[in-house]
Amino acid sequence: MLNNSSRIKTRKLDWLLIYALIGLCIMGFLTILSAVSGTKEMATVMRTHLIALPVSVAAFIFGWLFNYQIYAEHYRKLYAFVIFLLVAVLAFGIVARGSHSWFRLGGFSFQPAELCRIALIVITAAFLSSRQRYIKTFKTLAIFSMFILPVFALIMMQPDFSSIVVTAPALLILLFVAGVNIYYFVLIIAFALMAGIFPILWTYISLYPEVLDNSVILTWVNSLSFDIIPCLIFSGIILSLFIVGWFILKYFRIIVPFSLVIVLAFSMVGGFFSGYFVNKKIKSYQRKRIEAFLAPSADPKGASYNVLQAQIAMGSGGVLGKGLFSGTQSRLGFVPERHTDFILAILGEENGLLGTLLVLALYILILWRIVLIARNSSDLFGYLLCSGIFAIFFVYMVFNFGMLIGIVPVAGIPLPFISYGGSNLVSSMWAMGLVEGVYYRRLSLI
Amino acid sequence: MKTKLNFNTHRLMIMFILALLGGLLIAYKLIFIQFISHQKYTSQAEQNRTQILYQTAPRGQILASGGEVLASNQAAFSLYYLPPFEMPEEKTLMEMAGAVSKNTLKPQKEILQILRKSLKNGKAVLIADNLAPKNIFALAELQNFYPGLYLLEETKRYYPLGASAAHLLGYIGTMEKRAWKQLSGELDYRLNSKIGKSGIEKRYEKELKGRDGGLFLEVNYKGRVTQIMKDNRWRKGADVYTTLLAPVQQAAENAIRNSLTGQGAAVVLDVKTGAVLAMASLPDWDPNIFTPYNDGKNNESKIRIPEYNLAIQGLFPPASTFKTITALAAYENGDLDLKHEDNCTGHIYLNNREFKCWKNHGPHIDFMKGMEQSCDTYFYNLGLKTGSYNIEKMQRKFHFGRKTGIDLPGEKSGNIYGPTKRANLKTYWFGGDTLNLSIGQGELLLTPLQMAVYAAALASKGKIWRPYYIEKIVSPSGKILEEGKSELVEQVKLKDGAFELIHKALKNVVDNATGRAAKIKGIAVYGKTGTAQNPHGDDHGWFLAFAGEENAEPEIAVSVLIQFGKGGGAQAAPAARKIIKAYFDLKHSQSKQEDKNVK
Repeated sequence: MLNNSSRIKTRKLDWLLIYALIGLCIMGFLTILSAVSGTKEMATVMRTHLIALPVSVAAFIFGWLFNYQIYAEHYRKLYAFVIFLLVAVLAFGIVARGSHSWFRLGGFSFQPAELCRIALIVITAAFLSSRQRYIKTFKTLAIFSMFILPVFALIMMQPDFSSIVVTAPALLILLFVAGVNIYYFVLIIAFALMAGIFPILWTYISLYPEVLDNSVILTWVNSLSFDIIPCLIFSGIILSLFIVGWFILKYFRIIVPFSLVIVLAFSMVGGFFSGYFVNKKIKSYQRKRIEAFLAPSADPKGASYNVLQAQIAMGSGGVLGKGLFSGTQSRLGFVPERHTDFILAILGEENGLLGTLLVLALYILILWRIVLIARNSSDLFGYLLCSGIFAIFFVYMVFNFGMLIGIVPVAGIPLPFISYGGSNLVSSMWAMGLVEGVYYRRLSLI
Repeated sequence: MKTKLNFNTHRLMIMFILALLGGLLIAYKLIFIQFISHQKYTSQAEQNRTQILYQTAPRGQILASGGEVLASNQAAFSLYYLPPFEMPEEKTLMEMAGAVSKNTLKPQKEILQILRKSLKNGKAVLIADNLAPKNIFALAELQNFYPGLYLLEETKRYYPLGASAAHLLGYIGTMEKRAWKQLSGELDYRLNSKIGKSGIEKRYEKELKGRDGGLFLEVNYKGRVTQIMKDNRWRKGADVYTTLLAPVQQAAENAIRNSLTGQGAAVVLDVKTGAVLAMASLPDWDPNIFTPYNDGKNNESKIRIPEYNLAIQGLFPPASTFKTITALAAYENGDLDLKHEDNCTGHIYLNNREFKCWKNHGPHIDFMKGMEQSCDTYFYNLGLKTGSYNIEKMQRKFHFGRKTGIDLPGEKSGNIYGPTKRANLKTYWFGGDTLNLSIGQGELLLTPLQMAVYAAALASKGKIWRPYYIEKIVSPSGKILEEGKSELVEQVKLKDGAFELIHKALKNVVDNATGRAAKIKGIAVYGKTGTAQNPHGDDHGWFLAFAGEENAEPEIAVSVLIQFGKGGGAQAAPAARKIIKAYFDLKHSQSKQEDKNVK
């Protein structure tokens, strides 16, 4: 009895997670090979990938064997390192595809933002576990915001939009799991909604101006995008609505702290104004992506062309697929970014529905193992670390699959372990190593 | 023993459940795209990567009964531009357009425009079609210099005998919108397909068409050709064998062309089957003008042709040839007394009106003489004796005023003339009408084809055939798709001796009198001349004839009409002679050939 249980408990690795990773990496390797075969880039891509694979195994082993609890004490140094990397890339990095986000060392390129995504999760988990007792206070959130905003600002300076898209929701999930006061989430969500909805509405109206014909409200909403004065009036209306609402609630003997209501109202106004400025500053190609998402059929040769071609690739693959190296959409170049962001389309074309569902199932399996490991963690930091890594892979899955099936806009987000990209593969493997490290030390008592 | 941690994991579980729901949503959308909409996306993917260059199939041949080719095909080439992988430089493009322009006679500017458009849209385009083989060597060389040029072998219609039988064969041309609506659903027609516009080309369009071939090109996302996926060979159309005898047809055309006016029609029928051995109508045209090699211009819409087919659409009074009907009507009613003699004074009077004979024939005009000399006086009297009603009845017996039923569009039915017809029109019939009717003038109208059918009926002792001109239609694999069938419309029954009498009389006409110009040594030719009065100009000359070997049944029936030819005897009879001679020359040379082969 004792023997048996001790044998189970001393297992050092969660093999199911590892099998899933191996499965994804094999599928990724074959699909990348198929996607680039016959192109000029083939030699470079395959060489880089073949070097990245062993390096990522090393990163995994490092994450597994290096005691994660050490990060809990030294997360400030890690934070400093992240800032250093991001500043260095702005100073010494090279520009590729309009983005200042690559280091070039010898024959290899390295994208520090990929590593920073995971590092930010580690830092946040460490910070939150250190403030376990004050987790529900506003101060925790304020400190968190103060150290996270410079990082985001540095990333935006590259600019690396997709890193924000992945990291921000992942950090929010992590905050939620850590037990941050729900009220603050209401604030954040209200802020984000106001910041998001208005630019989308304005873009929508510019695409379909006929909706203005019969709607006073939409006409007025549209007028907000031109001038600051209606915006101020609008903010005033929001504030006064909340105050009036508070008095009405009070009349019915429902007492809500006045400060909460006012803070919520101000966060909405703040969100609105950030939306307003984002709308003014947004780049044309980014607006095109939003337009393509809102109206995919409006311009089939334009921005939505990529998604359409990806869907044609997947759809023409059918259930069993056309066979490896036989995808015409892939081979003839109809699918863009076919070895990186849109690799799933190639996989779907050549391996069919079975292939895509297998990838999805392996992702769900990985998420499930991470959740199990988190619940079995011996300390809060391990739990939060796993939750954060769960969150970031959840976001990866939703954004990459979602982009292909048309439920989220194209944001240039790869699918870890499948897409080509050494930095992403290595940092993702490091993250998986960290999870295995939590598993390895699940029985240790600090 | 697990240490109880002081944190709960509910919120993580909530997130995991959200992840599961997200996974389900993704799985549902994946199934929708890859399973439910599979067909739609497959066809889109195929469309994405495929471009087709069509190859017009050669049309089936049209042949004469002896195997002479009336319509066939010639090699023609189409020059395409397939955008190459490397974007050509502007200078190269200009040079290429210049070189291509020299060999296709298209302006350089136009070619340059086509090439630019092709590169921009990533689509293969046709630069020029119907290129003559003489340009091919030069163009094939250009193919090596300038990547992207591509020569595709096609065919174009060619009529080796030129204008011969043009009305019957018809011609081909680019289809109009209305034809496109009708045909686009059926065979593989494309907007620039050429279709039969008249005659056999139109009537047997479906059989002649064949199935177009195509080159299926695989292209990449820029429209650059990566490989040729498959080369669907065309399927040739079916060959149409007509019953025409090419030498007879050509003889008929030449006979008319060399007559006084060069205008008219001739129809030759096989007495034993009703097959059309020749059908000529002049003026005609050379159908090759619709399918020239590319000369840089497109004149098709400007061409005007005399499409009116006199043989089936031209209506003329039968004139004296009709005297055979008057004679038959009188004989049928016992009013014909062979021994009766008339005195022709050049005219007769009826109700104080004078009716002229074309000549003063003098006394002692009996039936044989009357027919021989075509004496109007004799037939005026015969007509009055037997009555207009009987003559009208005889017309109906021989299907005058009814279409012969030949399988050609636009056939006219002609016009019957007689008291019943008048009664139906609620007008009156006068004695003078009877006189006009007796000699075939007046409102009575026939087409040359009807005349030939009538001649064949006389020759075969009453067999009215439905004329046909298709011997068989043979698919490229040798299967017979359709066979022409001899169809007896009616067997006319008359009193014993009626046809023999007419035969005797008509033989006499050719041997001794007005029809002498049609006489051929060793051949029994029967005939009757006619001169149709034409109030608008010169009279038309008719000749109705049938002929056979000496002491044998007649074999062919001929009708010749020379428009504005003044007299039947002077113009139509010699033409008929040439036609009949051509037929028997052909027959004799064939039988000699056969004898040789046997030996």
